[in-house]
Amino acid sequence: MKFSDETLMAYLEGKLDEAEAAAIESAVEADPALEQRLMALDPFAPVVQAVFERVPVETPQVDLPQPVVPVVRAGGGLRLLAVAASVAIIAASATFWATRPEPLGWVQQAAIYQSLYVPETIASLDSSSQALDEQFAQAEAQLGRSLNREELETLPGMELKRAQVLSFKGKPLVQVVFADAEGRPFAFCVIRQGEGAPNKDVQQAVLSGLATANWAQDGYGYMLIGSNDQTDLSGQLDFLTERFAG
Amino acid sequence: MSVLTPRARSVESKHTQVAIYSMGGEISSEQAVRGAIQMHSKRVWRFGLALSGASDVADDLLQSTCLRALERHHQVTSHDRLDSWLMTICRSIWLNEVRARSVRKAQALSVTPEADLIAPGNDSETNIFATEVFTKVMQLPEAQRETVVLVFVEGYSYREAAALLEVPIGTIMSRLSNARQKLKTVMQHEAADAVRRSGK
Repeated sequence: MKFSDETLMAYLEGKLDEAEAAAIESAVEADPALEQRLMALDPFAPVVQAVFERVPVETPQVDLPQPVVPVVRAGGGLRLLAVAASVAIIAASATFWATRPEPLGWVQQAAIYQSLYVPETIASLDSSSQALDEQFAQAEAQLGRSLNREELETLPGMELKRAQVLSFKGKPLVQVVFADAEGRPFAFCVIRQGEGAPNKDVQQAVLSGLATANWAQDGYGYMLIGSNDQTDLSGQLDFLTERFAG
Repeated sequence: MSVLTPRARSVESKHTQVAIYSMGGEISSEQAVRGAIQMHSKRVWRFGLALSGASDVADDLLQSTCLRALERHHQVTSHDRLDSWLMTICRSIWLNEVRARSVRKAQALSVTPEADLIAPGNDSETNIFATEVFTKVMQLPEAQRETVVLVFVEGYSYREAAALLEVPIGTIMSRLSNARQKLKTVMQHEAADAVRRSGK
């Protein structure tokens, strides 16, 4: 069974009846992708996380017994050896730190989320002017900036379908979805990263099987996501970088 | 071939470990556990707070968890996901060794959530809101509280949390639904505030 974002959101807000909620819960058991979608939409998680991340204020201290260190008999040469050994320990732990898996960034997460979109996802969306008015008002309030809706409506080859507020690690993330001439989903995402976030030149990459491009400017991150790994983003990229580059 | 006494064998194994360190390539399981403790101490402490509802118990739980983990470092076969291993140890210490005693104490004192953990001596608007959210979460029943912290705060998936807490995924989801119901009032507040601020 397929669930729209609207249905999942209604579930998260406790607005579904028992049978509908049970249907989602049993579907999640068998479907990790649905679980990821549901978790990404949960409006409570980022708020609770932002609050608890401040606790405890200081990293708590733990008293541990000293690690086993080689027994060194007297003599300068051996002491040097001990120093060398401890350097090796530090190097080994540094390797451990450096090779631990990197947590996914917003760009990767947005691509994973977008990769679940199919033409059917966007075909039935209400893209009336009134629906878009509401969505853009909400999205712009969260981002604290305009999304140039009139400009987005003229994005070459694309039909504007919906603007949706998401969140990544407590930062507002807006996904604007379009349909291309064949009805395939295409997305433009904007995240508020906060003042002081570094600017980034345009980078293109195939993520989760989709052609993407992203850049950052003046505290906001931007991302384009095509409908497959071959999508040519250049037309839209020129259009959007010109309008969203500061 | 000589037969080693258990004591001699343990000495020998320590020396082997040192040899591994000095070569600088592979890291031993003890190093991995020490690294994980350093990296995840905040998360384990928060989980201890979620379980017990009290920061002094969280201090004790973190300390016991780390010592226990270090004692058992040889059980570690993979260096991945040592965070969930630490969480599991923390929870089993809580359930088997600390809970009965702390819950008795808590009932006697009828403890209130320690809201000053959030905003010591500061009453800006954000802090007031953060304190409200913190208090609401800490007032949830223990099962909901531990689930909320694992999923919302530490980012475990429903199935990871289910494995860690040894309950079905459906239980995780219904605990979260119940928790959302109770957190709703304060969240609506926040949404209202955000809208009001942006309207300025």
